[in-house]
Amino acid sequence: MSGICRLRLAEERKQWRKDHPFGFYAKPTKSDDGSMNLMEWEVGIPGKNNTAWEGGLFKLSMIFPEDYPSKPPKCKFVPPLFHPNVYPSGTVCLSILDEEKSWKPAITIKQIVLGIQDLLDDPNVNDPAQSDAYTMFKYDRAAYEKRIRSQARENVSK
Amino acid sequence: MDLGDDFKVSSKGKRKSYEVDYDSLSQSAVEKSMRDDAEHIRGILGVENDTAKLLLRHSEWNKEKLIESYMDTPTKVLVTAGIILPEVDPQSTPTPIRTQTSNSSSSRRPTRSTSKLLSSLSSGSRSSKSSSSSPTNHYSPPKVSKLSKSDEPFVCPICFDDDPKLRTMALSCDHSFCSNCWTNYLASKIRDEGEHYLRCMAEGCALVVPDGFIQSVLIPEPGAPIGDPAEEAENAKVWARFQELLVRHFVGCNPNLKFCPYPSCTNTVSCPSAASKLSLTTLVPIVSCGARGIGGQTLSQSQQSLGLQGKEHLFCFGCPIESDHRPVVCPVAKMWLKKCRDDSETANWIKSNTKECTNCQSTIEKNGGCNHMTCKKCKHEFCWVCMGPWSEHGTAWYSCNRYDEKAGQEARDSQSRSRASLERYLHYYNRWANHEQSAKLSVDLYAKTEKKMEEMQITSALTWIEVQFMKKAVEEVEKCRRTLKWTYAMAYYLAKGNEKELFEDNQRDLEKAVEDLSEILESPIEPENIPNIRQQVTNKTVYVQKRNEIVLEDTANGFLDGRWKWNATVDGFDDPDPSAIAL
Repeated sequence: MSGICRLRLAEERKQWRKDHPFGFYAKPTKSDDGSMNLMEWEVGIPGKNNTAWEGGLFKLSMIFPEDYPSKPPKCKFVPPLFHPNVYPSGTVCLSILDEEKSWKPAITIKQIVLGIQDLLDDPNVNDPAQSDAYTMFKYDRAAYEKRIRSQARENVSK
Repeated sequence: MDLGDDFKVSSKGKRKSYEVDYDSLSQSAVEKSMRDDAEHIRGILGVENDTAKLLLRHSEWNKEKLIESYMDTPTKVLVTAGIILPEVDPQSTPTPIRTQTSNSSSSRRPTRSTSKLLSSLSSGSRSSKSSSSSPTNHYSPPKVSKLSKSDEPFVCPICFDDDPKLRTMALSCDHSFCSNCWTNYLASKIRDEGEHYLRCMAEGCALVVPDGFIQSVLIPEPGAPIGDPAEEAENAKVWARFQELLVRHFVGCNPNLKFCPYPSCTNTVSCPSAASKLSLTTLVPIVSCGARGIGGQTLSQSQQSLGLQGKEHLFCFGCPIESDHRPVVCPVAKMWLKKCRDDSETANWIKSNTKECTNCQSTIEKNGGCNHMTCKKCKHEFCWVCMGPWSEHGTAWYSCNRYDEKAGQEARDSQSRSRASLERYLHYYNRWANHEQSAKLSVDLYAKTEKKMEEMQITSALTWIEVQFMKKAVEEVEKCRRTLKWTYAMAYYLAKGNEKELFEDNQRDLEKAVEDLSEILESPIEPENIPNIRQQVTNKTVYVQKRNEIVLEDTANGFLDGRWKWNATVDGFDDPDPSAIAL
């Protein structure tokens, strides 16, 4: 099982280096001894242009279970993001990341990050994960947009 | 066992009013009726066997509804059941991922080309689907497609294996993956998630994997090269689990059936008379799946320990209470358990730690200080010890020695009245809990009794069969305690009146008889009085059995006649008479 997991992640890494969407980054983390840890990736997701998220680059940690790709990776914004579908812990609530919903072994890392980027400006109000962002999004859209803009300014890529 | 059989034979002839008719079905018996249903649908709709099974599962085994909707819109039914692909791209994928088009151009070139190779094939079949208007012949069942080696090497999009000898498989959507990845995926879905409706591994593809495909993935065909035996055993286990999940789904969809709740038991009980909610107000459907013991341990082992190991799989068909709650009906049993869960600890605490203000009845906790209480709510001043008004304490402040004064007496009376409902509840609860506890202790009693039985065989001329009266007595005591326990739940909710008095008379008689018999069983045995004890125990056992029968039968008849009236609103019954409502 774990054989598939590492093989697949190595291949994902290869594919990503060959070609990846503009503005994103995704790389395995380094263990303490300097070796590459394929099971945990560091990802950066840019906000889309012409949205309140524009200009921001949001850091996300992607943790792969041993039975990946049968099971989806856990995606967690570090630090936690102000967004209706992000849990207070930073974990992203998205159907393609839920093994009991739309997760399929064929979904690639690229598809995941693009899916999360889509989610940024298009939250799913039927599945709120934190109350602050959800209530503001629902009842005070202007304040929400303002808050998102300032969050994007705090997270510019260096 | 012998005695148990005797008992069963005698009861089989005529069903008692507190028993229900039911059948116990093994997994294979349920599978057979599933096959019959599938065969029926196959014949009527003219579809493949695997398709019929998926359609039935998708329609939750409602054959009438399935046939009707299939006759109206066959294509729509097949698409929503995940058997064929929709004709145009699905507009109803709610996932926020909208990137299929953008990524198809770039990564995984080898895969792409493989699917391109297949695309002529798939588009051909798809166009034939869309063009044909007749519902029967446009569907081609998903097949295991073994890709012939072609000029372009195949790379599995999941594990990126590109071994040319790779065995690949695809559903009719032609999303090909290697057989290893299929095995891992299906096994993890079935084993870890208990899922029986499995979809293609490709992103967004809603096609469902038919049973035949799953079997061909998990179970090697006869004559196939022999693989790793451990892996094959594991896969066979997953396949068996899948079968069980199908049975569970079928049972869950059919109100006449219920799966045995005992761990690792795979039997099903069919009890049509208790299938409707309404029937649960007139009968208590206690059933048994026929098996004993937990997980393969059967009677042979239980001979050593007479405790829980060999227990019959007894459960209630009508509610999730996993024990015999006769004589009380499901809705009342449920109310009682909920009340006990919510209130018991609180009620006990209130009883021991608080008093009510004699003026406004607010519940007050004394958390320190002197006996001079001033009610926060109504400012009434009183003495915590005697409950009389503080003004009458005069110069004897802070030392209350005037218990029998009139004012204090009255105050205490009003106090006890306001405590009545709490006391009433605790009265029933304590007796209920006591019988529950005693029934639990019966496991110990079993062990003790066994020892006594051995002793008797040694010290007297009695044979094994002759000392069985002890065991029988213990079993009877446990059974009666179970009945008694639930009679307290029943009595708590019964409206005051003649009926309740008669009920409580029966309850009292049974309780007295049970306690008498218990006492004899617990008492030490002297060799010289064994014949005497035997006589007593046998007599008492018969008597207790009779009293239990009376309680069960009378209560059951009462439900059938609609004789019982409640002091609270009970699900499924008429609202109680306003005068009967308990405090």
